[in-house]
Amino acid sequence: MVKQAIKMKRLIKAIWVFNWFNSCGFAEVVPIAGSRWDMERFGIILTGTPRHADVLFIAGYQTFKSMKRAQRICEQMADPKAVIALGACTMSGGMYWDSYNTVKRVSDYIPVNIYVPGCPPRPEALFEACEKIFQHVRAMQ
Amino acid sequence: MAEIPQQRKENKLIEQISSKFEIEGTVQRDRRVWVTTSKDNLIALCRFAKRLGFHHLSAISVTDWPQEKIFELTYHLWSYSARILLTVKTKIDRADPKIDSAIPIFQENAQIHERELHELFGVQFEGNSDLTPLFLEDWDGPPPFRKDFNWRDYVRQKYYDRSNEREKPYWE
Repeated sequence: MVKQAIKMKRLIKAIWVFNWFNSCGFAEVVPIAGSRWDMERFGIILTGTPRHADVLFIAGYQTFKSMKRAQRICEQMADPKAVIALGACTMSGGMYWDSYNTVKRVSDYIPVNIYVPGCPPRPEALFEACEKIFQHVRAMQ
Repeated sequence: MAEIPQQRKENKLIEQISSKFEIEGTVQRDRRVWVTTSKDNLIALCRFAKRLGFHHLSAISVTDWPQEKIFELTYHLWSYSARILLTVKTKIDRADPKIDSAIPIFQENAQIHERELHELFGVQFEGNSDLTPLFLEDWDGPPPFRKDFNWRDYVRQKYYDRSNEREKPYWE
């Protein structure tokens, strides 16, 4: 465990992120990639494949069909990994709480590590969530 | 300027169709023609319309009339040459919703609409070989777009627990 912690601490310069965004989830989170919020200054980088990713962002309402794909993506990610659920719809169905085709409790389907509430969540809240991952690794024994 | 010739175009279209089929046709406004026909004539009418230049099936839609016990099917056909939207309507029995597929005429154009309507209303398109669910994988309830489907009740029963304190508001 100690060895692993040292290795992890050496490795954690950046977290690579894979996005699984439905509907407005994409539009509301995409500004963090732009110059105003600029996620790369905090070491958050987008990657094209789940096999390279450390963190999975899930945003927007999830249908049962899309949840199956999200589960697959999550399984493909190499350990250690984290899943961050962004926004009200992802977490609880949000305003689609009475839809027959949206996921009501995301944690029933996928192991979520961090919930970021909001509709949409502020970019700052998202950065804080990612910072918690860095802190977690730095505090490892 | 072009108003009078345009009107003639639409009236001529209705004349052309009514010479072959039993229809009720109206010109709604410029470039919008509504035609109501019987279930048996529908496919032949679509084939005839395609020969007249209505190549594009832009949508098929279903309207549910639970009191009248019918589904009203609406086919929207667009002609690029005449630039007229021909709306073909027909009624089918709600208890036995069967209609011939439009795939022999419009091919892939019709496929996605028929698949969706089969999923959402339970309409059987006879002759369509691939009516697998489009959005609702593993769906076990009734077709959800039918008016008599109480979706809120269904969702409560299926996904929410009344005894759970946090989920109580959903039951009120």
